[in-house]
Amino acid sequence: MKPASNWTHHLLHFGLLRTASLIVPTPQRAEWWREWRGELWHVQQACAPDGVCSWRGDQQATAFCLGAFQDALCVRQAGRQRKLRLADMVGTPAQCLLILVFILATSYAIALLLPGVRAERSLWPRKVNPNLVLIQQEGATDDSQPTISPMEFGAWEGRKQKYFDGFAFYRITAETVNPQSLSNEPHPWSVWAVGHASSNLFTLLGLPIQFSDFTDPSLNGGPSDSSQIPDVILSEKVWKRDFGADPHVAGNIMQLGPRMVRIAGVAADGSLSLPGRVDVWELQPDPQFGAEAPGFVVAHLTPFGAAEMWTQCVHITANGPGNSEQGFLGISLEEWKPAPGTLYLFALFLALLALPAITSVSLGECSLNPENTSWTKKLYRWSFLTAKIALLLPIVYFVAFDLAYGCTTFGRERAVYIQLVSTFAMCLFGMRWVLKDQRQRCPVCMRRVTHPAQVGQASRTFLDWNGTEMMCMGGHTLLHVPSLPTSWFGSQRWLYLDTSWEFLFASSTRPVP
Amino acid sequence: MAREPKFPDTRLPDTKLSHTAAMILQALDAGFVYGFSIMEMTGLPSGTVYPAMRRLERDELIRSNWERQSIADAEQRPPRKYYKLTAAGKSTLEASRKRYPLLERLIPTEEARTV
Repeated sequence: MKPASNWTHHLLHFGLLRTASLIVPTPQRAEWWREWRGELWHVQQACAPDGVCSWRGDQQATAFCLGAFQDALCVRQAGRQRKLRLADMVGTPAQCLLILVFILATSYAIALLLPGVRAERSLWPRKVNPNLVLIQQEGATDDSQPTISPMEFGAWEGRKQKYFDGFAFYRITAETVNPQSLSNEPHPWSVWAVGHASSNLFTLLGLPIQFSDFTDPSLNGGPSDSSQIPDVILSEKVWKRDFGADPHVAGNIMQLGPRMVRIAGVAADGSLSLPGRVDVWELQPDPQFGAEAPGFVVAHLTPFGAAEMWTQCVHITANGPGNSEQGFLGISLEEWKPAPGTLYLFALFLALLALPAITSVSLGECSLNPENTSWTKKLYRWSFLTAKIALLLPIVYFVAFDLAYGCTTFGRERAVYIQLVSTFAMCLFGMRWVLKDQRQRCPVCMRRVTHPAQVGQASRTFLDWNGTEMMCMGGHTLLHVPSLPTSWFGSQRWLYLDTSWEFLFASSTRPVP
Repeated sequence: MAREPKFPDTRLPDTKLSHTAAMILQALDAGFVYGFSIMEMTGLPSGTVYPAMRRLERDELIRSNWERQSIADAEQRPPRKYYKLTAAGKSTLEASRKRYPLLERLIPTEEARTV
C-alpha cells in the first residue's frame, strides 16, 4: 500500500497536467493529454522505483509537470500560426477557385439528388417524329374536343392512303384510380384521365417509353401470372406528381377502375402537345374501339402529304361510311420546345450581348510601369481568368437546371422559362463579377486589392480627378479607379510600388509573387 | 551565394538547427525514442524537449507514432508516443554533426544500443 503523501503528490501532478491541458486547443487536447499522462507514469516510476517517492523524486516529477505548461503554450501557438496561414489564403486566386469548385460540386450534387432534375435528364431525347398532324372535322371550333368516331378511324386505317402512312386513335375517359393499391397503407382514390389508345400510338409518335425494361413483376409485389394484367403507361406529369419521379416504377401494379393494371413505363412529354390531358395511357388492340364516343386521330404525313401542308394545316377530303365526302383538317402537332442545352447556349449568348451594357469589358491592364508585367505573369493572369469562366459556366448550367426542374410540380413549360431567365441572369451577373474581380487583382501576386480609400476633392471633380484607391496587401501595387472617367483618366490604373514601401507591410502577410 | 544541392523535399541539408534540436535528433538517432528518455539522456527539461520535438515534427524532421495498446496493456502501463527520424531528419542531423562536432561524443549511438 502506498503512503497517503504519494497519493497527494500524484493528485498534484495530475492536477498540474490537467490544468496545462486546458491551454491546448480542443482538437489536440485529447492526444496531448494522453502523451503527457503516459510520460508522467514513466517519470513517477523512475522517481519512485520501489513505490515510495523521495523528496527529490517528487521534485523531479513536479518539474516535469511544470514543463507541460510550456509545451501546451507551444501547441497553442502552433495552432494560431496555422490559423494565420489560413488567413493568408484570403483574397488569393486559390481561394477564389476553391470556392467556385465547391459551388460547382454542390450544384452538381443537388442535380444528382433532386428527383425532378434526375427525371428531366433521364427523359431525353424528347424529339418525336416530324410531319405528324391531328385530324379534326373541318369547322370544329375547339381543338381540344374530339370529333372523329372510331368507325371513321377504322375506315381510314383499312384503306390505302395518299397523304398518310399511319394512323393512331385515342379516346379519353375519366376513371377512378388507386395508384398504391398493393401497399399496406390506405391511399385515397383519385380520378385520372385515362387515354385508351391504339397500340401503335407511341410507335407513330416515335416517342420512346422510358423505364420499360422491367423483368419480373412478381418481385414488385404483383401477381405471378402477370400476362393477364393489361399494361399502362404513365404520363410524365403523373409520374413526377404521384410517383415522385421514381425510375423503378415499371412493374408496379395499381387499380384502374374495376381492374388491376401494371405500369409498363413512362411516356415523356415530347416536343408536341397532344390535345386532351392524359394521366395514364392504356394501349389496346384496335378491335376494342367499338364505342361510338369520338376520339382524336393522329396521322403521319407521307412526303406527298407534307408538301401539301400550308401554314401548319392540310385540308383533307375523305369518304365517310356512306361514301359521302366529308372535309377534314390536319393540324400540325409540332411545337418548338428546346432542349436544356440549347436553351442554356441561347441564354449565354444573350447574356454576352448584354454584358457591355452593365459593365466595362476591359480588364484594366493599363499600367504605369508595364515592364514589370512579364509574359509569365500575363499568362498566369489570363489562365486565372479562363479558369474562373470555365468554372462559372457549368455552375450556371447546373444551378439553373436545379432551379427549373428541382420541383416536380412545375410543368415543363414553366421550367423552360425559369431555366432561360435564371441562366441569363446568372451568366450576366456572373460574367460581370468575373471581370470586376479580375480588374481588382494585383498584377504581381493576383491577390485582390483591399482597403479602398476615397481620394480627391468633390469640388475639383472637373479640374482634377477623384476616385478610389485600393492597396495590394502584398505591397506590390496600388490601384486607382476614377469615379468619373475623363479623357485623360478614363480607366483604372495600376501603380507599381518599389521596395521603399516594404516597411509598411508585415513580412507575414507579404506573399511571394 | 552558392547553394548546396537540394533534397527531394527541397529542404537544404545545412538547415540551421539549434544545439537543443540537434541534441534531440542525435538522441533519437541513438535510439532514445520517448520524450522522457530523451530528457534523461540530454539533461534537458521537459519544457524544452517536448516543444522542440513539436517543432521538429512540424518541420517533418521527425515523426511520431503511438505504440500498440496491447503492448502497454501487457506491461500494465499507459501507452507511449514514440518518435522516429525521417529521411530529411537524418540528412539534417548529418549536417548538424558537422556543425556541432561534439554532438556524437555527448550521445554516442552505441550507448543506446547497449541499453
